[in-house]
Amino acid sequence: MRRIRWVRSHSTALGGEPLKPDLVLVLTYVTISAIGLLMIFSATAPGFEAAGEDPATELRSQAIWVVLGFIVFAVASTINLVELKGFASPFYLVSVVLLVLVFPLGESDGVAQRWIDLGRIQFQPSEFAKIAVILMIASILAAAERPIKWNTVAHVLVIVGVPAGLIFLQPDLGTMLVFAAVTLALLFVGGATLRQLGFLFVATVVGTVGLFQLKLIEDYQIRRLTAFIDPESHSLDATYNQVQSEIAIGSGGFFGKGLFEGTQTNLQFVPVQSSDFIFTAVGEQFGFVGSVIVIALFGVLLFRLVVIAMSARSRFAFLVTMGVAAMLAFHIFVNIGMTVRIMPVTGLPLPFMSAGGTVFVALSAALGLAHSAWIRRNSPVGE
Amino acid sequence: MTSTVRVVVLGALFAVLLAVLVLRLWTMQVTGVDAYEERAASQQVRVVTTPAPRGDIVDANGVKLAGTRSALAAVVDLALVDDDEQQSLAEKLGAFLDEPASAILEQLSGDNRGAQITVAKDLTDSQATFLLEHKEEFPGVSVIPQPIRTYPLGDLAAHVLGHIGRPNDQDLEREDIDGTDVVGKAGLEKSYDEQLQGSRGIVQYRVDAKRKVLSLVGESAPTAGRNLVLNIDAGVQQQVQDSLRDGLLLARKLEMEERANELTHKSRAERLSEALAEARSEVDPEPDEPTKGTAELGVDDDDVPRELEPVTVDPIDVLGPLYPGLPIDGVGVCVPVQRVSVPLGAEGVLSGFEPQFIRLESVVEVDGEFEATVSLSGERTSVRVNQYVDGAHQILQVLHITEEEVVLLHKDPWCPVRATSVVINPNDGSVIAMSSFPTYDPTVFVDGLSNEQWARLGTVGALQNFAVQGQYAPASTFKVVAYVLALEESYYPIDRGLGDKEVGAAPEGDDAPEQVPLLSDTAEYSCTGEFRFKLGDGSVQVKRDWKWPGGHGPLDLHGALEGSCNLYFWDLALRLWQDRYDNTDLDTENVLQQYARSFGFGAATGVDLPFEKDGLIPDRSWFSEEQSKETGRVRADGPWVGGDLMDIAVGEGATLATPLQVANAFAAMVNGGTVWQPRVVSHIVDGDGEILDVNLPIAISEADISPRTVRLLRQALQQVVNNPDRGTAYAAFRSFGENVELVGGKTGTGEVISAPATERFRQASNAWFVGVAPINDPEWVVSVVVERGGSGGRIAAPVARQILQYLLNGADGVTELVPGLDAD
Repeated sequence: MRRIRWVRSHSTALGGEPLKPDLVLVLTYVTISAIGLLMIFSATAPGFEAAGEDPATELRSQAIWVVLGFIVFAVASTINLVELKGFASPFYLVSVVLLVLVFPLGESDGVAQRWIDLGRIQFQPSEFAKIAVILMIASILAAAERPIKWNTVAHVLVIVGVPAGLIFLQPDLGTMLVFAAVTLALLFVGGATLRQLGFLFVATVVGTVGLFQLKLIEDYQIRRLTAFIDPESHSLDATYNQVQSEIAIGSGGFFGKGLFEGTQTNLQFVPVQSSDFIFTAVGEQFGFVGSVIVIALFGVLLFRLVVIAMSARSRFAFLVTMGVAAMLAFHIFVNIGMTVRIMPVTGLPLPFMSAGGTVFVALSAALGLAHSAWIRRNSPVGE
Repeated sequence: MTSTVRVVVLGALFAVLLAVLVLRLWTMQVTGVDAYEERAASQQVRVVTTPAPRGDIVDANGVKLAGTRSALAAVVDLALVDDDEQQSLAEKLGAFLDEPASAILEQLSGDNRGAQITVAKDLTDSQATFLLEHKEEFPGVSVIPQPIRTYPLGDLAAHVLGHIGRPNDQDLEREDIDGTDVVGKAGLEKSYDEQLQGSRGIVQYRVDAKRKVLSLVGESAPTAGRNLVLNIDAGVQQQVQDSLRDGLLLARKLEMEERANELTHKSRAERLSEALAEARSEVDPEPDEPTKGTAELGVDDDDVPRELEPVTVDPIDVLGPLYPGLPIDGVGVCVPVQRVSVPLGAEGVLSGFEPQFIRLESVVEVDGEFEATVSLSGERTSVRVNQYVDGAHQILQVLHITEEEVVLLHKDPWCPVRATSVVINPNDGSVIAMSSFPTYDPTVFVDGLSNEQWARLGTVGALQNFAVQGQYAPASTFKVVAYVLALEESYYPIDRGLGDKEVGAAPEGDDAPEQVPLLSDTAEYSCTGEFRFKLGDGSVQVKRDWKWPGGHGPLDLHGALEGSCNLYFWDLALRLWQDRYDNTDLDTENVLQQYARSFGFGAATGVDLPFEKDGLIPDRSWFSEEQSKETGRVRADGPWVGGDLMDIAVGEGATLATPLQVANAFAAMVNGGTVWQPRVVSHIVDGDGEILDVNLPIAISEADISPRTVRLLRQALQQVVNNPDRGTAYAAFRSFGENVELVGGKTGTGEVISAPATERFRQASNAWFVGVAPINDPEWVVSVVVERGGSGGRIAAPVARQILQYLLNGADGVTELVPGLDAD
């Protein structure tokens, strides 16, 4: 793959190259994580305070995850993706087994089974399945002849289909859609023909409609997916969160109500605000300015990932990085879009900000892998 | 497409997605911020209202007629009660307040969620203390002061004050009213409701998403409503009510005497006895065997009056002082509305001109409902609850049936039940007193009325203000209109009774002597008691004044008014008809009606009270419209004729007026022609007595009436009271005492057309009297109507006499109420 001109190359030496991190990427990642912690604190403190508990309760547990996530990011950054390629298949198999185990062992959060309880912490296998699938698809496409053949496409679909089907059964529609988005993005940059992409697109649409028609999707999912168009009519059930979130963000105004001054947030009008609806806290407290800054930070992150992908020395690294970028972009758009009521409620977290241990660690790992592509961009390609 | 291009495309897609988010945020946080801020604020603030005390109502001298006291109410704030707590809370409250828990639960779980619900309006001090001391046992319950309406003088001016109640759908359309408020339902409480309401106090709390109160945001105290100062004088009002009540009792006593007298006649007694025997023979196999009842009612050969068996009736007693004390168990019965319980196989006695006996023959159950077979004067019919008994002219209704008993509601159509009176100032239209009997105590509405109370009040018409809602034929009081017309237009009748050849018979044929109209108000007319006149088609019509069958003899216009001579005014109307009958010009034809309307007849006066009726001055166009619409108010066939106009001239036919209208018209005629809009409220003040609004006198119109006419009218009215020879109210005013020469008035006796036909016409008439005093410079106009009271001279004039005595000579000058003499 060609080097792209605007990527500065620090050295042309082939070996013994010091591992230089992408400082912009790292700083952006850390900044977003820090803002996330602050937002989690501002969103949860009033509730704990009112209950007479330590206001930093959730901040503290999330901070542990964040530290863990940083460590995982750092470790992942040092991995040589080329060596990792061989582990893609076992990793994928373990993920699928864990997804299966969710059913007999899993904890339900009321509507779906997504968690495996490991004593003090809970573990969400679907988060790691995302990475496994990205690695698998990347390795398949990296090895495939170009232009991509139909049987390669079929192979990819089978690889995605198994974990996606299991996740659908949990059911977790949002994560399943992440798989679809990542798959389409990787096939697009991986060299699938437009005809193949067109076919997949049509198949996705037909499949989705089919799921609705066959009533394989639970009622609450249909309600969630469609109610956002007219949330007022459901404001007490499916999209109460969304309406409250929209009010909170809208009432934030240009400069926001100020940190810890968010009335909607402080009065706990927005449920699950520290996790799925964390962006609400940003919008209300920091207004349009703060929201744009956070979106811009995500923009920088995505930009750096695209740059890294283009500078990657191996096709596998390129595909992994683009897969990670696509996964993050989908999360960001669907999650923020949900809080401002242009996307349905799917339960996808906002990367590096939403409270949640597995998610933070898993996404940090994914980002770290992409980052490793940057660090080793000048390493010899050992295909 | 190379990989690079595809990467750039995908990167651009990411950028586009983020840009979409930014755009959306712009529309929310920059351009749409106001709407969101409002929504956020509205759901974070909870508004609790506290009711404002209604304004006071005081009479012209500051006597409080309606006020407010502060009571402690127990209020449940539903937002603070979890759904699963409702049941136990309702049970605790029920036990504490001694009410069924289910009723309280129904209040709590109704569709008023989020609202405050008053479960007890008026706690005793110890109840309130207990609730406050045991707060934790009654979650969400608070004790708050709430204003309660009071009427310190009970039924005084009840119909003027009106009453309050829960808002209906129409009330709720008002912006200042919500479902927990009370609103005026009648009287001043209704017409001045917006002034009296005041504004609610508002307390705003900051609440979290669970509606838990966090802090107080703002508080505004309730503002009491404005106070009304009336033109009503409580002293006059009390006298009016006393006189009306006594007048009604007197009318009823006279009616009973009348019945007793009639019943002593052998023929009547015989008929009664036969009816009774017949009724009993239905169940008695040996009708000839004397029973206790027939023995007592039996007719001996002589005409000695006999005592009837004492009857047991249960008068509708919700009106308190009006009914108890009536000697109802003597000979002849007059109970206007009675409740009759008839045990199986026994008889009940119904009040009426001839007492009727109703017997309960049997009770059967059909389709889960009881059906009673009763015999009324021997006629058997089957009835169910709420049905009327056949053959009883809609006056006997079944209230209740059990296996052993039937309870009926009976109205005696000839027994006086209602009376009404108005006192106004003819110089500015202020209403000094207004009463309608039967009356009620508005306090009963404060706590809400039970269905039975409501039914009892409604049955006797106690809730209606007949002074403005009652429409009666004004009868002879209306002759003043024709009198004024005659003087103003110099228009007098043709004396058809002239000459002694054929008294009472109109001369016929070509050789009949020429008849000429009278030339002046002092020209004498010969009243023979029988009026013959020729119609357009040549036929001769005879109209008899059988109330005065012998005729008044010769009299002029003034004498005709003083003696209330029907013939004079009939003849005047007939001449009008013959001169002016013209299909094309209703204005010319309707001159009498125009005079009446110029004094305010035929249209609501605009008094500041609700539900006022228009009255009616009929004319040809009204008649044809009613006829074409087949409303049943006019005869089905035939044109508008002279007889209709003759009826109007003496205030009969379709003519209708309210007692207030009649008083107001008299006021206009004696004050020189100004028709004032009657006003009950004088001015409106705030709590400190500061005047906020003055209800200035409003002249509705000026009738063109000459000073001479006014002077002559006052004279004639004075003669009605003071002329011993022919004044129709002379007898009633004999005991007046000093200042009687300052009193003028006019009697009236209105036919009751809708009542069943009877030869006892006079006794069943509506008695009218309109008094004016002092006659030379009038300050008061008093109108009195006693429904079915008999003649105006006998019953209405004495009632008005007492009121005028009070006005002219003070409370000590009021003499005993005795009947006057029968006169129109």
